[in-house]
Amino acid sequence: MVTYLIRRLIGLIPALAWITVISFAIIHLAPGKPTDAAGAFNPKASLEARQRLEKLYGLDRPIPVQYLDWLGRTLRLDFGRSFLDDRPVIEKIQERLPITLLINSVALILMLGLCIPLGVFAAVRPDSLWDRCTTVWVFLGYSIPSFWLALLCMAYFGVHLHWLPISGLYSLDHDWMGPIARMMDIAHHIILPIGVIVFVGLAGLSRYVRSSMVEVLQKDYIRTARAKGLSERRVLFHHGLRNALLSIITILGLSLPDLITGSVIMETVFSIPGMGRLFYDAVMARDYSVIMALVTIGAILTLFGNLLADIAYAYTDPRIRVGTALTEC
Amino acid sequence: MANLLKNHLARAGAFILAILALIATLAPWLAPYDPLAVNLPEALFPPSSVHWLGTDPLGRDVLSRLIYGTRISLVIGFIAVGVAVVIGSAIGVIAGFFGGWLDSLLMRLVDTMLSFPSIFLLLAIIAIVEPSIYTIMIVIGMTSWMGVARLVRAEVLSLKEREFVLAAKGLGASSSRIILKHLLPNAIGPVWVAATLGVGSAILTESILSYLGLGVQPPTPSWGNILNEGRIALGLAWWLTLIPGVCILVTVLSFNLLGEGLREWMHRPHN
Repeated sequence: MVTYLIRRLIGLIPALAWITVISFAIIHLAPGKPTDAAGAFNPKASLEARQRLEKLYGLDRPIPVQYLDWLGRTLRLDFGRSFLDDRPVIEKIQERLPITLLINSVALILMLGLCIPLGVFAAVRPDSLWDRCTTVWVFLGYSIPSFWLALLCMAYFGVHLHWLPISGLYSLDHDWMGPIARMMDIAHHIILPIGVIVFVGLAGLSRYVRSSMVEVLQKDYIRTARAKGLSERRVLFHHGLRNALLSIITILGLSLPDLITGSVIMETVFSIPGMGRLFYDAVMARDYSVIMALVTIGAILTLFGNLLADIAYAYTDPRIRVGTALTEC
Repeated sequence: MANLLKNHLARAGAFILAILALIATLAPWLAPYDPLAVNLPEALFPPSSVHWLGTDPLGRDVLSRLIYGTRISLVIGFIAVGVAVVIGSAIGVIAGFFGGWLDSLLMRLVDTMLSFPSIFLLLAIIAIVEPSIYTIMIVIGMTSWMGVARLVRAEVLSLKEREFVLAAKGLGASSSRIILKHLLPNAIGPVWVAATLGVGSAILTESILSYLGLGVQPPTPSWGNILNEGRIALGLAWWLTLIPGVCILVTVLSFNLLGEGLREWMHRPHN
């Protein structure tokens, strides 16, 4: 297990190197300089002032030096300052992170809780009415533009029925509310975004559970369990589901980055001030230090999410680490 | 039975796509109005016998804009996938054929590209280049070639040990000749499925970008930016929100059905 872990960690290094090079290259391919707004476009700024500004941001040094400098600071979680309002990027992230974390963890818990029963029911009776309904749902879930679904929900539940607020996170009188009323206010605002995220995400997830359950149910040990006279319930849940759930671990690992980076689309449509919205605003304002920080964080989280999933998988399923050890010999 | 049903669905998908292609080609003759003609006194008219699908906040005919939008979406979808297939095949065939350090370098690049959250990568690049029809085709292609690269590489790895490739090598064929004449034509099979599904997701991506204001720029109509204009009048003008979304949904669904049908057809035993 330990050797497996070490090998996987070393395997990450080239990918991490690529990530930093790509993130850095993207920004340096950009035409114009981040100092242009205050420098070149400002007729009052003298050449000397512009050079001083460039020196301040370190833009006058050779590219490899700038890269190493940036890499060193990134490793210390120092992402520099926003070109927009000169606040440290890390501070802006800290401000937005709890909101995104809240919305996405609630959505993830709901999805996990729902995908298992949905997938299992479909797997137990293939080609039943329920199975067909979920198949249709899966195709819809993959094909539907999620922002459009969000707009429809806003129009219907928000504008037409007046049940739910359509955007933002707080009501106008939020600051004058008591603590419980405040929580209710936020809960009210996040029902729609969470609902849309769950509806779209659940389609693929329940399909995933279904196919791994179908696969497990064809195994010999399920036939053995049935042959020795166990109740169907016990066969399904004790012998079948427990093995099918291994695949859910992979999903959990892959969802880790979404928890942090959030959904650019949902947060933009619903005007939720989370990480996704922070990224969108940074793109619109060409705020390169924020863009770079979020792109890098997102990619690194994905790598570690994958790693975490593989480790958890190897931990729960000994065949994997033994298997890799054997092929190595 | 299930097989037959799926085949019917794939056929339905192909049929709808054929109609859409026809609409896109004949757009100038089908559109009742000029899609760019602003007519402020008629802004936000609901659907009627004059404007079948109503008008937008600038009084432009929505049906005409949707018809021209079909053209934009299909062209962007196909060209973006074309770019992805070209980049992916090139990288896949080079990695698979030459192997060694070049293979691991390129495959690490694929892993890395896949580890960027795709919308982040797209938007980060679009923040650099000016968004237009041409740039987003290329950017969508540049961020979606990784699956193709993996498929082609896997095919090439098994193909290059086959007799006809070994024979070509034995006869002294150059690497480029083996790649172009023997490997690529035979490795491209499974790419068709990925490409069909890819057009659907490229159209979806285009609509997201255009909705966010980072894709097709107004006044050029696209399904995504009609939705963007509809957001201002949400609840006032349902036709601006409902209908373009249905167009996107139906188109992407058709590509997905056709792709799945194609996958099934290729995996049939006698194929």
